[in-house]
Amino acid sequence: MRQKVLVVLLTLALVLVLAPLGLADNDTLIIGSGAEAPGLDPRVEVDIPAFERINLILEPLIVFNTQMELEARLAVDWELTNDNYTITFWLREGVTWHDGEPFTAEDVKYTFEWVLDPDSDAANASLYADIEEIEIEDDHTVHFHLSSPNVFLLNNMARMNITPAHAGNREDFRQNPVGTGPYMLDNWVRDDRMELVAFNDYWGGEPNIPNVVFRTIPENPTRLLAFEAGEIDVYQGGVVPREIERLEADPNLIVQRTPSTGYAYLGMNTLSEPLNDVRVRHALSHAINREGIVQRVLNGIGTTGVGPVPAALPWYNDDVPRYDYDIERARELLDEAGLLGQDITLDLYTNENLERIRIAEILQFEAARVGIDINVHIEEWGAFLDRILGSEDYDLYILGWSGQLDPDRAMYRQFHTEGSFNDTYISDPRLDELLEKGLTVPPDSQESIEIYREAQEIVVELAPYGFINFQEEVGLVHPYIEGYEVHPYPANSWQNAHLFTKNK
Amino acid sequence: MFKFTVRRMLQLVPVIVGISILVFLLVHLAPGDPIRLLLGEEATPEDYERLQRIYGFDRPLYVQYFSWAGNAIRGDFGVSIRQGVPVTALIYSRLPATMELAFFSVLFAVTFGVPLGVLAAIKRGSPIDLSSMVLALLGVSMPGFWLGLVLLTYVALNVGWLPMFGRGGSVFYGIGQLFTTFSTEALFDGFRYILLPALSIGTAMMAIITRLTRSSLLEIMGKDYIRTARAKGLGERVVVFKHGLRNALLPVVTIVGIQFGVMLGGAVITETVFAWPGVGRLIVNAISQRDFPIIQAGVLMLAVIFTLVNLIVDLSYALLNPRIRYD
Repeated sequence: MRQKVLVVLLTLALVLVLAPLGLADNDTLIIGSGAEAPGLDPRVEVDIPAFERINLILEPLIVFNTQMELEARLAVDWELTNDNYTITFWLREGVTWHDGEPFTAEDVKYTFEWVLDPDSDAANASLYADIEEIEIEDDHTVHFHLSSPNVFLLNNMARMNITPAHAGNREDFRQNPVGTGPYMLDNWVRDDRMELVAFNDYWGGEPNIPNVVFRTIPENPTRLLAFEAGEIDVYQGGVVPREIERLEADPNLIVQRTPSTGYAYLGMNTLSEPLNDVRVRHALSHAINREGIVQRVLNGIGTTGVGPVPAALPWYNDDVPRYDYDIERARELLDEAGLLGQDITLDLYTNENLERIRIAEILQFEAARVGIDINVHIEEWGAFLDRILGSEDYDLYILGWSGQLDPDRAMYRQFHTEGSFNDTYISDPRLDELLEKGLTVPPDSQESIEIYREAQEIVVELAPYGFINFQEEVGLVHPYIEGYEVHPYPANSWQNAHLFTKNK
Repeated sequence: MFKFTVRRMLQLVPVIVGISILVFLLVHLAPGDPIRLLLGEEATPEDYERLQRIYGFDRPLYVQYFSWAGNAIRGDFGVSIRQGVPVTALIYSRLPATMELAFFSVLFAVTFGVPLGVLAAIKRGSPIDLSSMVLALLGVSMPGFWLGLVLLTYVALNVGWLPMFGRGGSVFYGIGQLFTTFSTEALFDGFRYILLPALSIGTAMMAIITRLTRSSLLEIMGKDYIRTARAKGLGERVVVFKHGLRNALLPVVTIVGIQFGVMLGGAVITETVFAWPGVGRLIVNAISQRDFPIIQAGVLMLAVIFTLVNLIVDLSYALLNPRIRYD
């Protein structure tokens, strides 16, 4: 009896060990993603993981390429006319929806009108609030008439994928969308996998790899292990900083890096004493050990912070006041303000983000050397967001911005007196004037560049933010995948997946 | 016994009502706001107010509660704020994954924990006792998620046939396939996915069971009736297993029952490490996003399951010890 059991167990063990290993499958691209998409309707989603997937299924009129320039997608061309009061799009012909219906100007009109409908649950309607009327000239020409010039509206439109007028109101559209993109949704097991299949009538030609699978792996170390074991082919974002050196030394995989469109900052509530004194804000800016933070906390992923506009954009101004790490200078500034040696205690808030917590601790240490006591409070994300957006009950906070695609996006909401995210309560008439004027000047003109260069100088001089670091996007890919290029804006990472090839 | 069961089931009603009110108040009064979290950092006040209105959060709290409770009684637990999908569908699609993981963790823990504990007790003071106690101490001290990462890094990465994450088919489906089509493929597929997660979660529980079985059996073995049994000339095996272990298992069963309930909602971190699509992850994500309908329905479901598991544990006492009766 005992021997029998043993034989059975041994056989079972043998079967398990010799069981066929997963064969290389060149027909399926497996993408590892850090979070699941809540849904796939571009009109109501806000999460980056959602748009990572949506961008394969539905397409916007125009998209950002990896150089952060606008590129034609469902539109072939576009133009600002009528003193920037009108944007005209000429649409691509011969595009069909996944269900065979032709794509026309009606779909474009439908999508934006749906978003602007006050009874819709569109998430970011205010991004498109300047659109007053949408006029269809013919099936492939559409004019957007604006209530006030907003030359950066194009950048927002590059984030709105067009939905079909004939199917967009279907109740299950968010779970099972119809698009014009290179892939169609085939099967979706939430929190586990999303399987896409090629749309063979895609206007851009049949996709190279017939299947794409998104696997959701929330834990970064597990995702990295799965990548190294070859279970996923490629992923972007969430690379643990202390792993980067080892990964870059590994010849069997490719690490791609690019400056991102985001940064981390120390926000200072200019309503609270003594932060209402610009010298105190300057002192704190001098106490930020940017180089140390980038090297030791971020392991070199990122660069030291300068101002609100990412260095990748043409408006970036390198010539702004710099607050080098200098404790002596910080003490002098505090002395000038008549506060040196006095008891100053500030409350700093941030969320449960390991890197932000470490930055907060470093800041606490450096500020103590200047003579400022910082109490660090770590809050859960929801509670933290509630505090910063919904109250004035904080002195300092550490937070980041992502997707700073143009200077308006990077400054108006944050630093205009009426800005919706002016959580430092900074107010400067000249700055307001510049930020308003910038919206009316063609973005590719020298005038636009000069306006925003001056605005950056004012922001950095007023120092409502202490700029900590610019972020970097890191993408990991196996050498057998060709065509992947890390994108500065993670939501757009896979928009060209139909052009990838896989030869494992 | 029937009366007892019915009485206990009736007691569920106030428990559920109480929990639903408590959970409702907790999630609504805690800081953090689902619409703010939904809209993220880019929302303007106009977008915020519009969505507050559309989701009905501008109504007084008691109105919101009664409208929710009224629907819940009819089996409608609402739609996820974040995902726009009925909550019941979300929970049902994940429940099998969690149940299966909990089942196999418990199975592993019991199959190894009880014999190890018995062995340690009857060979008290021997090297076997000592090493099993060291093993138990190690098992209790290692957090499941850490053990999971260690297993992934040192075992799965080297073995090749163990996947790093996710869930294959169900093992039960695999067993069905084995008997109907004599194919081991589905069984193997389910098994290799569940092996490491079940091991990670089951180890700590196995350790607890080992220690508990040992101490409980040692205590029983010192009782008078064991001496009587031995004096009657019964064989040692009968004394230990029939007279000793059966009684010693009462506290073990209690712990297994409680642990099973805890696992249904509490294996969250391990579920996250292995990207296991379970209920725990659903609820915890919902909490961080303040997705009220999921939190309410999820916690309520866990409370009901917990109560039911406790009832089953109570009933099983009667099986183990006939002197315990429920009338």
